[in-house]
Amino acid sequence: MTSHFRKLRWLFVRRRRAAELEKELQFHLEEEAQEHGYDAARRQLGNIGLIQEDTRAMWGWVWVEQLFQDLRYAARTMLKNPAFTALAALSLALGIGANAAIYSFMDAVMMRWLPVRDPGSLALLQWHTKHGLDDSVVQTASGHFDDDSKLGRVGGIFPYPAFEELRKSTDVFSTLFAYHPARNLTVMVGGGAQVANGEYVSGDFFRGLGVVPEAGRLLGADDDHIGTGVLALSYGFAQRHFGDAARAAGQKIFLNNVPFTVTGVTPPGFYGVDLGSAPEFYLPLHADVALNPAREGKSSQTSYLDQHYYWIEIMGRLRPGITLQQAQIQIGPVFQNWVASTAENNAQRANLPQFLLSEGARGVDRLRRNFEEPLVILMAMVALILGIACANIANLLLARAAARRGEMAVRLSIGAGRWRVIRQLLTESVLLASIGACGDVLVAYWSVPVLRAMLTGGSNFVLRAELNGHVLAATAALTTVTGIFFGLAPALQSTRVDTVSALKQWRTAEPRRRLPVSLSQLLIVTQIAISLVLIAVAGLFVRTLSNLQSLDVGFTREKVLLFQLNAKQAGHQSGELLSFYRGLEQRFSTIPGVISVAEANSPLIGDGAWGWAVVPVGKPKPERAPSGHGTFGGWENTHTLQTDAHFLSTMKIPLIAGRAFDERDRAGSAPVAIVNESWVKANLGGRNAVGERVVSFGLDDKPIQMDVIGVARNALYNRIEKNFPATVYLPLDQNLGAPVEEMTFFLRTTSDPLKYAGAVRDIVRKTDARIPATHLGTQEQRIQTEIGDQILFARLSTGFALLALSIASVGLYGTMSYVVARRTGEIGIRMALGAARGRVLLMILRQVAILAAVGLAIGLPLTFGASRLLESLLYGLKAGDPTTIAIAVVTILIAVIAAGYVPARRASQIDPMIALRHE
Amino acid sequence: MNRKLGLLQGTLDLLILRTLLGGATHGHAIAKHIQRTSEELLQVETGSLYPALHRLEAKGWIEATWELSDKGKRARYYKLTRQGRRQLLNERSKWDAFRRAMGLVLAADEPS
Repeated sequence: MTSHFRKLRWLFVRRRRAAELEKELQFHLEEEAQEHGYDAARRQLGNIGLIQEDTRAMWGWVWVEQLFQDLRYAARTMLKNPAFTALAALSLALGIGANAAIYSFMDAVMMRWLPVRDPGSLALLQWHTKHGLDDSVVQTASGHFDDDSKLGRVGGIFPYPAFEELRKSTDVFSTLFAYHPARNLTVMVGGGAQVANGEYVSGDFFRGLGVVPEAGRLLGADDDHIGTGVLALSYGFAQRHFGDAARAAGQKIFLNNVPFTVTGVTPPGFYGVDLGSAPEFYLPLHADVALNPAREGKSSQTSYLDQHYYWIEIMGRLRPGITLQQAQIQIGPVFQNWVASTAENNAQRANLPQFLLSEGARGVDRLRRNFEEPLVILMAMVALILGIACANIANLLLARAAARRGEMAVRLSIGAGRWRVIRQLLTESVLLASIGACGDVLVAYWSVPVLRAMLTGGSNFVLRAELNGHVLAATAALTTVTGIFFGLAPALQSTRVDTVSALKQWRTAEPRRRLPVSLSQLLIVTQIAISLVLIAVAGLFVRTLSNLQSLDVGFTREKVLLFQLNAKQAGHQSGELLSFYRGLEQRFSTIPGVISVAEANSPLIGDGAWGWAVVPVGKPKPERAPSGHGTFGGWENTHTLQTDAHFLSTMKIPLIAGRAFDERDRAGSAPVAIVNESWVKANLGGRNAVGERVVSFGLDDKPIQMDVIGVARNALYNRIEKNFPATVYLPLDQNLGAPVEEMTFFLRTTSDPLKYAGAVRDIVRKTDARIPATHLGTQEQRIQTEIGDQILFARLSTGFALLALSIASVGLYGTMSYVVARRTGEIGIRMALGAARGRVLLMILRQVAILAAVGLAIGLPLTFGASRLLESLLYGLKAGDPTTIAIAVVTILIAVIAAGYVPARRASQIDPMIALRHE
Repeated sequence: MNRKLGLLQGTLDLLILRTLLGGATHGHAIAKHIQRTSEELLQVETGSLYPALHRLEAKGWIEATWELSDKGKRARYYKLTRQGRRQLLNERSKWDAFRRAMGLVLAADEPS
């Protein structure tokens, strides 16, 4: 054992010992020379270097010494070829760094757990039904549904009575708590007003999650009753408005003009249970009775008793020892029995929602579903880039190894073991890979915020993603593995050298290949194939984007300023809302540069749509007509928009028959409506609509008869898509549709709309400082946000495609340069025997062209496959669109020939005299 | 190279240790001593000597210092340690036992 310690100690003084050993042997030589003469002494000593090596081997730790040797040599070699080193390191850095960034996002979105106590024991309550919701106990709803291929329609919302029923199962859940988003409430703190989002939570919410307050106390069961006047603030909100979380407790703030006292502040980092939302405040569930006294015509108190109104989301903490499966088995029947008891007829009984319990550690699923697909696609693209980058590095290493064959031959012939040489080459590639690894940490660090901006730009999601330690460790490991893996093949190949011919530097000496194709050619062909796929995909996304952007929206989108005001939440009475908004409209129209102003109860794009059944008199009300506010599938479902008289003219939606609204259409006068072409097609089959009498059923299912006074040209409402939805426009003044609370204003301006934002805000503030102008932006911005995904894909995929093509081109250039350099002798002979320069040029180019052709041949089926996978994201194009693919092929050919041209030209310029003499 | 050392390893160690019993000395002198004392029958190759010396040093059986030789030049002198002395006795008795065993087997074969 002590010998190990001794050797360990010697490790640190190795250099000194080596110098001493040299002196020791020198002394030996001199002593011997004294007796027998210098030459005999030298002969007797033998190979001094070998003796030194063998002696040093006794000191142990030889591998350390060799490692340092290799590293020093590798560093020297790399510094001699800075271009190669930089290129290789850059390829790796970009490929792996981008991967690390995207992986961080995937981790944050899909895998991170809620920052609460013991998230593993949380469970999320949902239900699913395979048969849709047409004949269902779910009659009215407020929330989201998802569609799953296996489960059908999945919902995470429940009626309040169901929550009370489930809460009784205390043997399964130690706590069960409910929550519901509180959106777009007008918040007044101090003097300022703004619109913010919060969360309604039941009494056990904070206790169930195990959240410790940052200041004060958080909401409890006693706070959750009708008439409650308390809330809890988020850490961010408290800091922004009160400076310090501790000072926020006890303060008074107004939500929708209703006073609330702050009980406490949640800790920083807590964001509720939905990764995509960041509630600024938490209200007791029953507070919504005070904040939203009426919901769609009914008193919101009835929401708590309605067995068919699905709105609250529920999560629970399982008792210790109970698994998810056990809980599902025990709770499932409780819910099933309850929901069966609410069925009103046999059709509903046959279509009951089935209870579903899933793990709640990651909170609500919605964000994951939204981002999963884009992230996976991004990851695939980056992985391909990584593949190309690695192939490049391998090729560069191969080429360089080939150029060093002479050096390898010398080393092998004086006795270096093959394995030792291979190890040294591997050290080089690992060192290179490590430099790449440092680069990729930097790239990853910088791309995370870029990615975050790209993925969430414009939307309301707050995506929490940082580069995390696991990812960095993984990238470091990946880089090392890549270095070893791609250094191995060249190392093996280049040490299989035929030493004699290599030493003679015979011009055509090459390692004997077992395959007809060299590894280098294989790599280039792969790179070309992958580049084709990426370029074609980029082309598809870019064309999709341009198709979407040039889509006819039906109205003129340029130079329109949009914003929304909610006077009701600031305290105005329902009766005076319309005249209040009308007054504001008049004031807006006096702003110089504003051509016209219009109002409507919803923006056209990006905020869902209102809709209910509107049918010609005599026709029956369609059974499955959706009614309310949301996203309706199908263009035949009637969408409704309540507008003022200037709307159609301001948005430049032409009337193709009849007239627009005017002063005749007031409260109390004959009810009128304007329909659009799609509505006419769906309900009247193309008949003349002006003068027709129709029945509007409204949100409350009370039919009102109206006259159609005009037919408008089709315009988009709610989504950007090809089909124009059937739309019915109603005059705001007659107030026969949805009750108006929030109003959207449309200002058509002479120049850049954003210049008028300041004037608008001024007017609003002077009129009533309690009302903030929200969602201020241009109509074009709103549309861009809607197609944000497509914009993202188009940009990213183009960037990636260009990156891939550049890397592949550089790789091709480098490899062809080495090929030409190696064949210099052969080319010299050809020219000396009479080959023209042009022929030499063509000869090299032909080699390049063959590589390109094979690469394209492999790449084409891959491209078709990839485009089929992405078909759902395309618009206006089919998978395998021939124009796009043809353009991609041509692009690759141009790039490849350009990359090969320079070396080819260099080949044709070889002076045969120099080539034959020079080595 | 390593293979040759392997066969001689145990015996060379013993020879070196025994040589150093007579006092501290440097590598060249050790080789010369073994050569002379064995009546020129054992020629220690330099390529085996120095690795062996350093190995013994690593094991702690000998230790080395730089001293001035009798001719006034600096040389690396090796000296037996206490552990080395014990090891010498050990090896010596093992060698005796080996020699006796060889002798018995060889003698048993002699024709009468």
